[in-house]
Amino acid sequence: MVYAIFLLSIILVLSFMSFSSKPSPIYGGVGLIISGAVGCSIIMGFGVSFMGLMVFLIYLGGMLVVFGYTTAMATEEYPETWGSSIVIWGALLSGILMELLLMVWLLEHDGMEVAVGFNKLESWIMFMDKGFSIIREDSLGVSALYNYVNWFMVAAGWALFVSVLIVIEVIRGK
Amino acid sequence: MPSISINIILAFTAALLGMLMFRSHMMSSLLCLEGMMLSMFILSTLIILNMQFTTSFIMPILLLVFAACEAAIGLALLVTVSNIYGLDHIQNLNLLQC
Repeated sequence: MVYAIFLLSIILVLSFMSFSSKPSPIYGGVGLIISGAVGCSIIMGFGVSFMGLMVFLIYLGGMLVVFGYTTAMATEEYPETWGSSIVIWGALLSGILMELLLMVWLLEHDGMEVAVGFNKLESWIMFMDKGFSIIREDSLGVSALYNYVNWFMVAAGWALFVSVLIVIEVIRGK
Repeated sequence: MPSISINIILAFTAALLGMLMFRSHMMSSLLCLEGMMLSMFILSTLIILNMQFTTSFIMPILLLVFAACEAAIGLALLVTVSNIYGLDHIQNLNLLQC
């Protein structure tokens, strides 16, 4: 299964097409949940489980729940699905067709050269010094938030607090 | 790896086109904006992993957190419009005031 992550990225594009063709927001939210789960699987396929956990906790569990509740509040009685309007159907089919043509072109013509060579599935190799050790890159990198950029952490916390105040002021209106 | 990258760039472009073209609801544009943020998160995580820029893992985390803020403020605006007009249709936004 060398092509496992590649197939997952194709499924990611197809689920992005499902909410970019803009059906009613409830169905778009379902498509975004599926694309969040597939994106988490792509990230976990590379080994960084912390980033996948961030996607599930913060993105799906924080943001999409709020989107779901707001959609339930501000929606209409007969939401339009993917097959109900020719516009949505046409956008979805043209998106899927574009993705299939791109994949056929990649796999048949042995790569694609636009500015960089988008060839097959090889990785980029970094040449570094001698010596090695076992490190967990993801948690090591995120813990640099508390180590090297202390003040940025404080400023980001302040910005989040101010955004809560902004939301309350916008809701209050007059 | 580059063929995975081109798929994620294609997903970003599809969400960008979906956000810029209005249909009836404002909510679907906000969903496409969230799709753009998700694809940027995935792409930056994969590139940082490949290039071993370990300290740059801060960037996708902060991107996700500030995208959550931005989504909250966008939803607050949508709720304001929905409180006045009943629905969040784009054709209601023709007066430059609420």
